[in-house]
Amino acid sequence: MRRVIEGSHAVAEAVRLARVQVTSAYPITPQTHIVEILSEYCEKGALKARFLRMESEHSCLAALIGAQLMGVRTFTATSSQGLAYMHELLHWAAGARLPIVMAEVNRALAPGWNIWTDQTDSLSQRDTGWIQLYCEDGQEVLDSTLLAFRLAETVNLPVMVVLDAFYLSHTYEPVDIPTEEEADRFLPPYAPRFRMDTAEPCSFGALVPPGDYMEMRHDMALAMEDALMQLVEIEGEFTRIFGRRHGPIEAIDCNDAEIILVTSGTITSTARLVVRTLRERGEKIGLLKIRLFRPFPTAILRETIGRAKKVAVIDRNCSFGAGGIFAQELRAALCNLDPRPLIYGYIAGLGGRDVTPEVIEEIYRRTQSTDRPEAEGVWIGLREAL
Amino acid sequence: MSEAAMQNRLFIPRSCLTTEGNKTGSWRFLRPRYEDKTAPCAAGCPAGEDIPKIEMLTAQGFFKEAWETILQENPFPAVCGRVCFHPCEGSCNRGEYDDSVAVHTLERFLSDTAARYDFRPSFARLPSRKERISVVGAGPAGLAAAWFLTLLGYSCDVFEASPEAGGVLRWGIPAYRLPADALRQDLRRFEREGIRIFTRRPMDRQFFAEAAGRYQAVILACGHGRGQSLSIPGEMEVGVIEGLDFLRMIRASEMAVGGGTEAVIVNGAGCGRSMDTLGEGEAAAEGSEFPGKIGEGALSSFDGLTAVIGGGNTAVDVARSVIRLGGKAVICYRRRRQDMPAFADEVRMALEEGVALEGLVSPAAAGRDGEEIVLSLRQMIVAGMEGSGRARVIPDGDKMKEVRVRRVIRATGAGPEESWMLPAVEGTKVLALSHCRLVSGEGKLVVVYAGDLANATKSVAHAIASGKEAAIALNALLREGSEAVIPRLQACAVGDGPALSMEVCLGGERRLRSRHIVSYTEINTDHFGFAPRITQPRLLVEERVRSFAEIDLKISAGLAMKEAERCFNCGLCNGCDKCWLYCPDVAVIREGEARRIHYDYCKGCGICVVECPRNAMSLGEGEGEG
Amino acid sequence: MDAEITEREYMHSGHVGCPGCGATIAMRFFLKAMGEKTVLVLPACCWSIIAGSYPQSTLKIPVIHAAFETGGATASGVRAALDMLGDTETTVVTWAGDGGTFDIGFQSLSGAVERNEDFLYVCYDNEAYMNTGIQRSSSTPYGAWTTTTPGREWKKMRKKNIVEALVAHRIPYAATASIAFPEDLLRKAEKAKGIKGSRFLHIYASCPTGWRIPSEMSVKIARMAVQTNIFPLYEVEDGLRYTINHKPRGYLVREYFRHQGRFQHLTDRDLDEIQKMVNEDWELLLRKAGERV
Repeated sequence: MRRVIEGSHAVAEAVRLARVQVTSAYPITPQTHIVEILSEYCEKGALKARFLRMESEHSCLAALIGAQLMGVRTFTATSSQGLAYMHELLHWAAGARLPIVMAEVNRALAPGWNIWTDQTDSLSQRDTGWIQLYCEDGQEVLDSTLLAFRLAETVNLPVMVVLDAFYLSHTYEPVDIPTEEEADRFLPPYAPRFRMDTAEPCSFGALVPPGDYMEMRHDMALAMEDALMQLVEIEGEFTRIFGRRHGPIEAIDCNDAEIILVTSGTITSTARLVVRTLRERGEKIGLLKIRLFRPFPTAILRETIGRAKKVAVIDRNCSFGAGGIFAQELRAALCNLDPRPLIYGYIAGLGGRDVTPEVIEEIYRRTQSTDRPEAEGVWIGLREAL
Repeated sequence: MSEAAMQNRLFIPRSCLTTEGNKTGSWRFLRPRYEDKTAPCAAGCPAGEDIPKIEMLTAQGFFKEAWETILQENPFPAVCGRVCFHPCEGSCNRGEYDDSVAVHTLERFLSDTAARYDFRPSFARLPSRKERISVVGAGPAGLAAAWFLTLLGYSCDVFEASPEAGGVLRWGIPAYRLPADALRQDLRRFEREGIRIFTRRPMDRQFFAEAAGRYQAVILACGHGRGQSLSIPGEMEVGVIEGLDFLRMIRASEMAVGGGTEAVIVNGAGCGRSMDTLGEGEAAAEGSEFPGKIGEGALSSFDGLTAVIGGGNTAVDVARSVIRLGGKAVICYRRRRQDMPAFADEVRMALEEGVALEGLVSPAAAGRDGEEIVLSLRQMIVAGMEGSGRARVIPDGDKMKEVRVRRVIRATGAGPEESWMLPAVEGTKVLALSHCRLVSGEGKLVVVYAGDLANATKSVAHAIASGKEAAIALNALLREGSEAVIPRLQACAVGDGPALSMEVCLGGERRLRSRHIVSYTEINTDHFGFAPRITQPRLLVEERVRSFAEIDLKISAGLAMKEAERCFNCGLCNGCDKCWLYCPDVAVIREGEARRIHYDYCKGCGICVVECPRNAMSLGEGEGEG
Repeated sequence: MDAEITEREYMHSGHVGCPGCGATIAMRFFLKAMGEKTVLVLPACCWSIIAGSYPQSTLKIPVIHAAFETGGATASGVRAALDMLGDTETTVVTWAGDGGTFDIGFQSLSGAVERNEDFLYVCYDNEAYMNTGIQRSSSTPYGAWTTTTPGREWKKMRKKNIVEALVAHRIPYAATASIAFPEDLLRKAEKAKGIKGSRFLHIYASCPTGWRIPSEMSVKIARMAVQTNIFPLYEVEDGLRYTINHKPRGYLVREYFRHQGRFQHLTDRDLDEIQKMVNEDWELLLRKAGERV
């Protein structure tokens, strides 16, 4: 059924279809609509789940860790400060190999309270062992959330579905909402690989000495590596049932491109427009959308954009002292290629500042007109120094 | 590994192995262990009764087992439960907490229960031996000696001059303290165990000549049957009655009541006649009516005031008997009330019953004035203290006092009836032990002096102790020679002695206990709550003085158990399981009745030892067996 | 032997608790009341180690090791899951030390109790961050030495009253208990088990290592704490009805302090001050229990 709904609503629909059993909630703009809709669903009985109104985000994730260990499917949503607060437990959930799914609405970090979109919050958590999927539009949000459960439960790692604040969370778009029957076909009930059971008591998470810890972490690393292939396979099935596919990346006009733009999130939609326009003008420009950020799809990226002369990465985030994070990761992915493209990193749109077609065109022009990057990270769209 | 298996494998921190692989016992540098110790009451009991165990069993309702525990060390529970002066209660640790445990009352209860249900006891004994031992005097010492010798495997013949066995138990102590039926409860057992008692068999020198042929040893326990004279002018003329004879006559009258043919009456002048001078049936009729007549006040010879000279139990017994015979009595004692050697409880009851007490007076002379006797008493004053805490008295100048009484009864002490009853002081081979004296020689008959003949303290409990010591010493002498006597006795001591344990002597569990005597500070009183001591139910004063009926009444099993629960069981594990309860390492194992420490895991924290309410555990250094 | 206390053990020997550890005694008693249908949420504390290193487990029930501050929150999730699985028999228990309850864990505890989550929270209190080496917590009593309150800087703040804080939430059941009073502890644990909603047990658990007492005195010290009214035994139902379970003879606090190395620096004046404070607190409790006007 096709409906015009906002991004938050799309998340909630997917959670409903996934038959989540325990969900925890703590309000933070602009995630709040997600949990409000879920609260209504639970109250109406559309979603048969326990809705925990926790007293903080950290506690939200703690509750899900406890619940998932008992053998039920869980979900929560947060943003920015809330995500940062959860940081300790993000490591915990992944280390515990729990297939928790979380919707993360990209929002800037304080101080200077800023509720608008910025990727620094989710990217700051890139080391925690969570799979990260960055969404471009409402449909992708619903699809990613639904398949996140399948992916998580396949590799036993938690999945973060990331969507831009307001541009996605509060924007209404037409979204195809699967039927319950279709969803059930795609996502069977949760069958945990391990759970706490009074009939077979054990302890979980005890002290692990140096002799065993590394192997457990290696197991995690292997699972994370495996996640890319699993995603591809699962999406194959998804396509068969729902007729749609998003892929770990999407390449637009990359084959003969000399300069390839790399984007993520809603900037991608704007970039599509710019690429079409510039192509009409004869520019050899391509666009690469990164959807799967963790695990970083190194091999596919090398293949897809390895032959370009220049790559311009648009980062709506900043790792202070090292520049844009997508740019960093891309540099690392391509560093052993020979030859390899020059990587131009651009930082734009922090704190919700609009990334317009003009901004993207400027990025293209600057990339084109310089032999090498002016700096590791070039900040675009700044106002004149006061 | 297959693809599917790979899919399912997850290396996560999931732990299900028990921690029992960690032998935390290796952490230990102090080692707790179960160690039963000696209780002060047991060490203080002259007979060495295993009192904490008795009370433990009683509290748990195992009355027969508790009673058997008494019998192992003391064949006279019915007697002692009535007449013992209970030094155990004096050393009772509970006394420092609230009130001492009523051990005495509980012993009485157990003997009452045994009689009621006719318990047949079982106890340890050694196999039969060929030696035969003769015992002279069927009093507490002699019978105890016979009892313990029987447990040691010997066959014993007891010879008693009186018509019935018991000694002071039958002929000395009044019936209101120790009825003949109660004594018979204990006496029955002797015969059942094969001890032969021959009554009406007085001893003389000839016996010794004959005994050597038949017996390997003789235990002389004839007691002190001859009362001490006052040595004052007029004593013979006025007819001062010997207290021991007086008491004996009263006890003898019970035979007539019981249907016997022997009887003794008291003639008008108050002198007694020995029983065997009576012709058959001569005074039977009057004898059988004697107690009744006395009780009704029909016998006039007991009107008026009777002066009783002395301050010991005999004097008090005499005075209280006089009251019961319808008379009035005044005890005349040379020191103060608190110096009287008589049991304080007895003195108090005497005063309640109307006995008067004249302290600080000493008889000087007696003269007759018609129906009355005029007794001159010298007044005394306290002139310092003796080491024992008793006052030292001297005459108060020339001050005198006179009392006019109907009769005078003396009870100032006693000695052996015949000179040959006195124990040898030196000679061939004399071994002077704490409660008896062993005289042996090459090829000669071994003679053991026991009971009042050899005891410093003259009490029933000490008499029993004497009998036990005599038996153990004699056994050591006969089996191993005189060098072995003292080591053997030391090996059987309770605590530091002098009390001895027959159970230890026979190789019982009690031998494993440490000799250390548990003091009050070693008891963990946290585990107890204040509880009042039971009050011994008694006849009212009005009821008491009417007859010679027993004063102390029975108590119920419920009350007995409650009182026995007050016992700390010092030094004796009673299965309270506080050790098991508080162990942080689950290292105390219970296997039925037994407990043991699992030394693989015990870290030696010592909580079990501190929490043990009764110091039945010890914490020591080093390893060694559990 | 107490016939009521089950012989069944839910704890193995061979755990690495210090000799005389009060926390292990507390757990042993507690689980005897709880039985095998129990899931234990275990935030960071001494018991995180005592529960066994991988691959060993000291307890015969499922144990979820949780992050330090998440005792209340994790248990909320566990309960929600059990509800969804249709399990009405299993009790969810959080077993936390004083640090994870009074300080860092206070938020999630308060949150869970405010929501009246159906779980039993037990704080075993050894009055400092013992697992990390005896640092002060808000549960450390007035007067105590710790590694972060050394010398003259001994703790001059009163011990936080956690039970009263939770009573203010109108918690259905809150009670204090002590390892030296096992029957009382077991009764309260069983009572708590049968109540729905949030329940809290504050168990005094001596620490020979941290308090500088000989290990064998562990239980005796715990008893003294109650006998001196320093740690009264009482329960509060629905945040309203107080019942004092034990009225000791009120030994002088001096006796209690004398035995512990962590209090050796206190002068007679300090002890007098403390006696006043203890008397004051006891009077307040009596008033709340309606035993003083």
